[in-house]
Amino acid sequence: MELRFKNVSKKYGEVFAVNDVSYSMETGVYGLLGVNGAGKTTLMTMLCAVTRPTTGEITWDGNDIFKLGERYRDLLGYLPQNFGFYPDLSVSDYMMYIASIKGIRPAAAKKRLKELLEMVGLSKYRDRKMKALSGGMARRVGIAQAMLNDPKILVLDEPTAGLDPSERIRFRNLISELAADRLVLLSTHIVSDVEFIAEQIILMKAGKFFFTGTSDELIAGMEADVWNCKVFGNKVNEYMQKYPVGNVKHVSGGVELRILSKTPPSENAVREVPALEDAFLLYFGEKAGDEDAEI
Amino acid sequence: MLKFEMKKFFLKMTTKVILTAFLLVIVILCFMAVDSVHYTDTDGNELTGISRAAAGRRLAADENKWKGELTPEKITEIAESYHELMQQYQGDYPAVEYGRTVQSYWEILYFASEMFTPDYIRALEDMDRVAEKDIAHIYGAYTDNLKNMAQEYGTTPEQEKFLEEQYGQIQIPVTYKAFDSWDTMATHAEMYILISVIVIGFLAAGIFDEEFRNHAELVFFTAKYGRSKAVINKIAAGVITTTIIYWAGIGILSLISFGIIGWSGFNTPYQITAPYSFYVITQGQRYFLTMVCGYIASLLSASVTMFITAKMHTLKAAVVIPFFMYHVLIFIGRPLSEVTSLSCFTPNVLIEIDRQLRHPHIFQIGNVVFRQVPFVMVLYAIVSIILLPFIFRSYSGYDSAKNLRRKS
Ligand SMILES: Nc1ncnc2c1ncn2[C@@H]1O[C@H](COP(=O)(O)OP(=O)(O)OP(=O)(O)O)[C@@H](O)[C@H]1O
Ligand SMILES: [Mg+2]
Repeated sequence: MELRFKNVSKKYGEVFAVNDVSYSMETGVYGLLGVNGAGKTTLMTMLCAVTRPTTGEITWDGNDIFKLGERYRDLLGYLPQNFGFYPDLSVSDYMMYIASIKGIRPAAAKKRLKELLEMVGLSKYRDRKMKALSGGMARRVGIAQAMLNDPKILVLDEPTAGLDPSERIRFRNLISELAADRLVLLSTHIVSDVEFIAEQIILMKAGKFFFTGTSDELIAGMEADVWNCKVFGNKVNEYMQKYPVGNVKHVSGGVELRILSKTPPSENAVREVPALEDAFLLYFGEKAGDEDAEI
Repeated sequence: MLKFEMKKFFLKMTTKVILTAFLLVIVILCFMAVDSVHYTDTDGNELTGISRAAAGRRLAADENKWKGELTPEKITEIAESYHELMQQYQGDYPAVEYGRTVQSYWEILYFASEMFTPDYIRALEDMDRVAEKDIAHIYGAYTDNLKNMAQEYGTTPEQEKFLEEQYGQIQIPVTYKAFDSWDTMATHAEMYILISVIVIGFLAAGIFDEEFRNHAELVFFTAKYGRSKAVINKIAAGVITTTIIYWAGIGILSLISFGIIGWSGFNTPYQITAPYSFYVITQGQRYFLTMVCGYIASLLSASVTMFITAKMHTLKAAVVIPFFMYHVLIFIGRPLSEVTSLSCFTPNVLIEIDRQLRHPHIFQIGNVVFRQVPFVMVLYAIVSIILLPFIFRSYSGYDSAKNLRRKS
């Protein structure tokens, strides 16, 4: 089981969405992190054989995935970022349809459908029209449909977008369960989504992989320390200009800042244990994810 | 898999809405068909309101007084009766007389007049003078006229021979039975077809648009059969739904309309309607031919719109193309036919078959002479089928980077 990229590039006009990426993946969870426009989706659609690379080759156990065709897609489960469905179908009709085009026999599909809806907590909604689902529920159906054929390669493009905090936690546990004996590639710009479940982290920026490795390796490689310091409210801007700043927390008598710096930014600064989020901040120059995603 | 594709089609809101509207149109067409048959009773009053529904059957009952072979004797009796009436009332007989007698034989008399002349306007003007003609030899005059037609329209010896052969199949004397319902329904079936080609083209195109419309294409094309069997099933669903919808629609229209106005005259020769047509068929066959041509037109419409949608990933073009292919061509087809005989082969021919049946369009390649209608039917049936693999190729060759509809 090996999925390999060899010098893969994708050009849209003059822009490289993915630029000369070479990498190899086996079983396990891979977290693909990057800001908007980094090229995550483009990479994933190439991996799912719906976008042809401009140059380079993607192989599964040594065979070109585009040549494998049906045999490759049989191993694939994909939740696209912009997950669309047929609005007038009920959840179970939708799942049965997808099962049919995945080549699963109706009897087996029915059984699988039941298990999967239980797993994503939607058993109650099996007869509800897809268009009547909330965004988060629809995304859970999206995950369930990707799992229908028990895929060896599971590609999830921002699967947690639109999920509420408790759902996110549920989801993380779900992924860990699913990960056994599978290759899971999941993209996000929310670090906490992958921090504990991804064995391998891939940082992507402007179409290139500029870091790949474990979370610990990434943190260990940071060329800055993490500091917590309390400053007066009127100084916050000054610090923001000078250092990459993570969490900003209002406390009595001032503001607590999480700052990345080689040297202590102030006398009262306290050294903190660095986390993946700090690495993201350091490398991308912006805070990971949105405020409400921090759990 | 096909079952789920069909289910998906019929569960779609658009499908439901359009099919409901279509059904409504069919009911209106039934109403129009029933309403288009007029009957004047023996008191000279035309049936109105709800009793109008009985017009078709009462008219047929009256006319069927004359059923059987139209012998010269029968024609003489009719022609003289009409002549006397015209004399008596100086050409303007009252409605009572129409209801009592003229109504029952008007079609026969017009046909008799046409046997004497292929000019249908003159035939109409001459109706009261049929009595003065040599009715004993009316079929002789008719066969002479047919021979002249064969000479006039057969521009080569092969064509002339072909036309003579066709005309030779006309049974003489002609056997009559009231056939108004078939005449009326041929017209209304064409109206139905005019609408069905648009409705069916649109619905079939929807099968190839819905993934893109709903942004569901990535899941579809990454599924195991998303570029093979699933696409074939979509095409099959298109063909099957076209077939179901077309035949269900015309079935409903025919059942209701014929049920009300009656179906007398299935075996009446079409020549009574069009004495110089070289399509020697019965009224029932003419209706069947209209339906089959409409089916081919619907299939073609579906194939073309599916193909365009599979290529363009949008419905927009798919809605207007059948409109150009049929409705616009009907309008420009007539002036165009003055300029080029190519207009005999455009798709609109399929949906105005009744007009084409009357026209002596024949063609010749080498020694083979062929008629317009069967040729066009075969041509477009083949085109519809040939397009199918192209639909497959366009759709299954999807690449998301080239997707025209991607919102980025
Ligand atoms: N179909 C397309 N046509 C032209 N440019 C495209 C197309 N798809 C993506 N791009 C460009 O390629 C680059 C990478 O886009 P991509 O969607 O892969 O990024 P991403 O990492 O998934 O971003 P996000 O986090 O917003 O989903 C962007 O600059 C984008 O504008
Ligand atoms: Mg993306």
